Order: sequence, then structure tokens, then C-alpha cells
Amino acid sequence: MTEPIESRETMLRDVNAKPRSTVVWAAALVLAALPLVISVPLATDILIWGIFGMGFNLLLGYTGVLSFGHAAYFGLGAYASGLAMRYWGAGIWAAIAAGVAAPMLLACFIGALAIRRRGVYFAMISLAFGQMLFFLALSPLKHITRGEDGLTHIPLAEVFSLPLHKPVPIYYFIFAITTVMLYMTWRILESPFGRLLRAFRENEERAKACGYNTTLVKFFTLVLSALYGGLAGALNMLYLNYVPLTTLFWLTSGTIVMMTILGGKGTFLGPLVGAAVFLFLQNTISLWTPRWELFVGAIFVAIILAFPGGIMGTIRTIVNNRKTARLQKRAPAVPSEG
Amino acid sequence: MFSDVNWTVFFMQLFFGLALGSIFVLLASGLSIIYGLLDVVNFAHGTFAMLGAYAVFVAVSLSGSFAVGIISAVAIVALIGVLVELFLLKPLYGKDPLLPLLLTFGLSVAVPDLVKIVFGLTGKPVAYPEGLSGATLAGPLILSNYRLFIIVFTLVILISLWLFLKKSDLGMIIRAATRDSLMVQVLGTNTSRIWTIGFALGTGLAALAGAIAVPMLAATPDMGVEMTMTAFVVTVVGGLGSLGGAIVGGLLIGVIVAFTSLVAGEYSNVAMYFCMAVILLIRPRGLFGESGRE
Amino acid sequence: MLLRTEGICKHFGGLRAVDGVDFTLKEGQLKSIIGPNGAGKTTLFNLIAGVYRPTAGKVFFRDRDITRLSLHQTSRLGITKTYQITQIFPGLTVFENVRIAAQSRVSAFNFWRSTHSFAPLNERALEILRQVELLEKRNWLASTLSHGERRYLEIGIALATEPQVLLLDEPTAGMSVAETAMCAGLIRRLNRELRLSIVLVEHDMSVVMGISEEILVLNEGRVLAEGTPREVSDNREVQRVYLGEEKYA
Repeated sequence: MTEPIESRETMLRDVNAKPRSTVVWAAALVLAALPLVISVPLATDILIWGIFGMGFNLLLGYTGVLSFGHAAYFGLGAYASGLAMRYWGAGIWAAIAAGVAAPMLLACFIGALAIRRRGVYFAMISLAFGQMLFFLALSPLKHITRGEDGLTHIPLAEVFSLPLHKPVPIYYFIFAITTVMLYMTWRILESPFGRLLRAFRENEERAKACGYNTTLVKFFTLVLSALYGGLAGALNMLYLNYVPLTTLFWLTSGTIVMMTILGGKGTFLGPLVGAAVFLFLQNTISLWTPRWELFVGAIFVAIILAFPGGIMGTIRTIVNNRKTARLQKRAPAVPSEG
Repeated sequence: MFSDVNWTVFFMQLFFGLALGSIFVLLASGLSIIYGLLDVVNFAHGTFAMLGAYAVFVAVSLSGSFAVGIISAVAIVALIGVLVELFLLKPLYGKDPLLPLLLTFGLSVAVPDLVKIVFGLTGKPVAYPEGLSGATLAGPLILSNYRLFIIVFTLVILISLWLFLKKSDLGMIIRAATRDSLMVQVLGTNTSRIWTIGFALGTGLAALAGAIAVPMLAATPDMGVEMTMTAFVVTVVGGLGSLGGAIVGGLLIGVIVAFTSLVAGEYSNVAMYFCMAVILLIRPRGLFGESGRE
Repeated sequence: MLLRTEGICKHFGGLRAVDGVDFTLKEGQLKSIIGPNGAGKTTLFNLIAGVYRPTAGKVFFRDRDITRLSLHQTSRLGITKTYQITQIFPGLTVFENVRIAAQSRVSAFNFWRSTHSFAPLNERALEILRQVELLEKRNWLASTLSHGERRYLEIGIALATEPQVLLLDEPTAGMSVAETAMCAGLIRRLNRELRLSIVLVEHDMSVVMGISEEILVLNEGRVLAEGTPREVSDNREVQRVYLGEEKYA
């Protein structure tokens, strides 16, 4: 084997280039301009679901844990923050804090109970817990949650004297938070923990044999994704000034699953892209038929069959194939021997 | 302190619970057979039950006979099951084990909307079959004939299922394949056909559950998801892939739902999920689950 | 004694996969486990590494009872196994495969610092890639490597976890004759130069006889013979068991 002539420094630079956050700022730029292209309510929905999806993707896309009850975190975040504002007169930041903390506690509980179970088992259990919350809010806790009517009479919020009940200010408020979350997700994925998540996505068994406590990683990621879910729920409450019971409905869980898979699980931008495409489809189809679920469901089935990697996953595969072809052209065709 | 009236109420409620539980048993045993054979958690299980309910509605309005309704419901839904297995699930075997779950989830989103387009949004009622509409008096108890029928019918189905799995050649192959599909391949049986049959059997049982429930509930497009959830809870409680677990879990959940709706009506929907959480705490693999299967 | 099992058993239903095996490994030793298919070699590995809980018996590492530890815990103690069927991270680069394994010894739950700043880890990963001769392909996706290269990469991953004992499960499986010879050389170097204690499960008798200091022969879950390569190959019992299996050698 010919000894490589490169120096150690160039080699290090080449395998471990300093990560660049360009992708975060580019995405933020696109999101900032979004209300110029599509309606502001649609754009706001994309941001909220995008945050929700980022957290869900950390769990499904990287640790491979499928939660079918993520509406529990989204809905609990919405209710906790909404209740805090309505009954305790909490300010906007305190409400958001409540909307993040409560779902994280719930995730600790569900995780402690079920995260060790095999994948399909966890999916069923999480779905059942999601339903439990839905029915709790529907009738036993009706005197607090207002049951089917949803939580109304939430005081209007203001931040830095911006009226958050107007469409454009709330959009840019949520946009700022989305950008923070995008940056945070990016930092996490470039950290040792994030690198571990990527390895986990590729081969859980091998990660375990390397000495990583895989159960703990799953638990941590579940709680982390509840943070995103709760935050998205709280923002949804601020945006609507109302918490509909449907935030806890199973279809909310199903929607985040569909968005994440559509956009590409285990990719950085997948959840945002998925949320955008899904909501755009939903809006467009709703214009000429109320039966949008038929089409969205059918598209989802087709994606599972033909492109399980989703939009960004398929693009990544193509890019990777190109890169491999380039590397193979440069290297000797036969593995070097001797 | 228990008066006769209290005991009457107790037994009436137990009876309701067993009848409700029987429907759950049929649902969950179908789910269990599919999981045991194909390693697929069928999210569309309740959707198949819903299709069974609509098939009964159509067949009864055409023929006027409830028996014809049940038979055609099972036949039609099992056929749909075969098509789904052949064209949608088969391509996913050997890939990520979560994909079949996601695919059947997609079906459970899309199919109810299709039903809404064909049958409209309102529920489709089916009358109690003739001869089963009244009630039977047993001492102080008034037992609805139709609920009695459900319990007996489920028992008959379970015994036939058991005989089929224990005695028939096909049943024995299915049981062997449930344990170890590789072994069956070694024996030279075409496992892919066994899987198709197993999926048809499971969806057929789901259709049966939907079909016998329809005179009490009326067929609605969104009944499927509720039934899927119930089947999931029963399977988690009973143990995934265990037929005995499906039976005990189904009856247990049925009785619990019946009693909570008597004692604390507003908790009736929550009760089974609480029950599941408790079971998970004290016996994580479910009542009948094999260790290592969880 | 570095590693020791005491009457270890693993039963799967009626099958006694491992049935009362006493196994010992001295510091710095290279020991092979051989035996016909189904003799219980891989099961013994999995018992030592904590993949399975034994039905009976105990495992000791430096006189510490590690019987009830799980896979990630034994790995942290320094017992690392490779797999019969290659287990790598296919969608990551060759470098990242090794780096992630090296990272397991430093910091798993660091959420904020960039991995870029962990320079010693990166250096170490490169050093290991040099040892397993994959330095040139450091930027390739692991999924694009040839079969032999993947097996090397897996050894590299194992090395990166700074093992004290390396459990190699048929490392030369599926390799060509030339690749097998090179792999045997690599294993010998790891043992002699890096002073690694190695347990080797291997079908290729030329490899086993060539590099092992001691050999343990298993048959139907029990120890059939133990000794130097010479003693084992002269053993009548061993000859009898292997007579019909000449084609494996």
C-alpha cells in the first residue's frame, strides 16, 4: 500500500471539516420570505408543524422509535400554556414554559413505562396514551378544558408591544422561535450526541456494542422531542388564541407521522419540507373536495411503497450516489493489497 | 348491604360487558393472528371491521337476511385483505419492520374518506335480525337476545378457530409458521401463500367483529379507528401475538368498560387506557405475552 | 486471569446451546474457540459479552462478576465483540464509523459542542484506520466498501472502543484466500504489537492453527478438548469429531 502523502492536518480537515450552519440560515431566509409567496395562515401552520416535526424526526428519524401518540405532547403543550394564561394570568413566556415543561414530564412517564418495548409495541402504547389524554380532556376534565368546545377566552398576548393576535406579527414571532429551534437542532445534530443519533439511525445493535446505552438514548430523545411538541402546541395556542380539542386527536399524531415521512425521516430539513408539502396539498385539495384525507392517505401509501426515504431522503440518496461514484473514479478500481 | 336490585344491576352490567368484550375478542384475535404470522401490526384493522359493517348493511338491504350479510361481509373483506397483502404489504417484507404499520396507517386515513364518498357521512343502521330482537328473562335479569347471540356466536367462532388451528393441516402449518417461518420454508411449504391466508383470516375476523356490532352501533365511516385503538389496548393488555391473551384481554376490557360506564360514565372511554397503563406497570409483556416477545 | 466463565449454561427451550463451559483467558493471550456448526461458539461469545443472560453459571472479568451486565456495559469495561454477520454503520463514512466508536469512551451526552472540537478523538480514529488499512477510503460511505473491507472496518470499530479483550466472531468469513491470510496477519499484529487479548471463533483451520496460543474445542455445548494447537490436533476425540468435517478446514 502506498503511504498517503497528505499531512495529518489536511487529512483531519478532510474527514472532519468544521461544520457550517449555512443550511440553517438559508432555511431561515426562505421562511422569512414565505408570507410573500403563500398566505400568512398557511405559512404560520408550516412553522408550527415544522417545529413539531423537527422534534418528532429526532425520535423517529434517528432513534427509529415510532410514537403514534405525539398529539399528547402537542395537545398538552397547548392546553398547559392556554390554561396558564386563562386561569393564572400567566404571561406569554411563562405560558410557553408551562407548555414545554408539562409534555416533557409526560414523556418521562411514558418513556419510563414503555421505551424498552419493541418498536411496534411502543407505537401501540403511545397511541393508547394519546387517546387517554384525548378522552380525559373530552369529558372527565371538561370543567377545566371545556371539552368538545375547546379552550376559549384566553387573554390576548403581546410581546415587545407587538399584538400577537394579528397575523403578520405572530408569524414573525413564531418565525424567530423556529429559527432558534432550527439552529438548536443543527447544533444538537453536530454534537457528539447528534453524531450518536446518526449512528443509531444506521445500526442500533452496533451502537450498543460500542458501549452506548441505547435505552437511555431513546428515553432522552423522547423527552427532547416532547419539548419540541410542547413548544409547537403552545405556539399554536398563541396563534389561534384558542385550543381546539383536535390538538389531542389521534389524527394530529397521524399527521406529524405523515409529514415527517413525506419530507424524509432522518434528514435535517425533512420535517419542514414535509410540513410545507403536506399543508400545501391539504389546502389545495380542500379547495375542491372536503375529502382531502383520501388523497393525502393515498399519497402517503404510495410514498411508503416507492420512496420510504421521503423527499429529502431520496435527494440525499441521489447526492450520496454521485459522491460515491466520484470517489470510486478517483480511487483504484481494485482494493489496494499488500 | 347489597340488595337484590344491586345484584341484578351487577349481573346485567357483567352481561353487557361480556357481549361487548366478545366483539373485542374477535377484533383482537384477528390482530394477533396477523402479527404472529406476518410480524405486521395492522393499523387498518378497525378499518377492515368498518368495511365489514358496511358490507352487512349493503347485503342486508339487498337480501334481507342477516346471515347472508355476515357471510358476505367476511368474504368481501377477506378478499380485500388478500389484495392488500398481495399488492401493498408483500413489497415491504424484509425491510424496516415499521413500514407495514405505517402503510396500514395510511389506509386507515384514506379508506374512511372513500366510504364517506360512497355512503355519505351519516351512519347506516341495520335492524336486529328477526328472532334476535327481543329479550330473554332469566330470573330478575333481562337479557337482550342479540347480546346473547353475540356471546354464543363468538364462542362458536373461537371453538371453530381453535379446531381449525389444532386439527386441520393448514391450521398446523399456520401455527408452525407463527413460531418460525424459516422452519416452514424448510419443510417446503410456500410461506408467502400462508401469509396471504393468514392476513385474510385476520381481516375476516375483523369483518366479523364489525358485522355483529353493526345492529347495535350502525355503520359509520369513522368507527374503524376507535376499533383499532380498542384492539391495540386489548393486545397490549393480553400480550402481543397470543390468542389466549386476545380472549382474556378482550373480555376483561369489555367488562371494565361496561362497569365504568355504570359507575362513572364520563370515564368510560378512559378506563381501558388506565387499565392498560396499570398492566404495563405490573406486567410489561401483557397477561399472556411470552417474554422476549415484547 | 483476565476473563473466566464458571460452568456457564444457556438453554433455549430444550436446546442446550452451551452446557457447563469453563473458559479462561490470560492477559495478552490469543485463544481460539473451534467446533462444528452448532457447537455453541457464538452463544458463548454472546454470554460473555452480555447479549444473553446465562441459564446458569457465572462470568468474571478481572475477578469481577459481570454475569448480569448487558452488552453496552461489558463494552464499557473493555470487552468488545465483532459479529459473524458484519455490523457497521452503512450510511456513515468509514471515518465516522470509527470515530463514533472512539467517542463512546469520551462523551455520549454532550448536546452542544461540535464534534469538530474533539481533536484527539479524530486523531485516534485516523490512527485506527491506518492500522486496518482503510485510510485511503476514509471518506467513502461504509456501504460502498467490499466485503473484506467491511470486515476490516468492523475490527476498526472494535479497536476504537479501546478494548482489553477482543471477541472476534469468524472475522475471515466470506474472505478470499489472500484476504484471509492478510486478516490473520492483522489479528496476530493486534495481539503481538498492541498486546491485545483476543478470543477468536474461526472455521478456517489454517488461521486457527497458525496464530492461536491455545485452542478450546466445543462440541454440542460442552468442552471437548483444550490445549496448544499441537495438543488439540493430536487429540483423538477432536479428530473423530472433525473427521467428517474435513471440508471445513
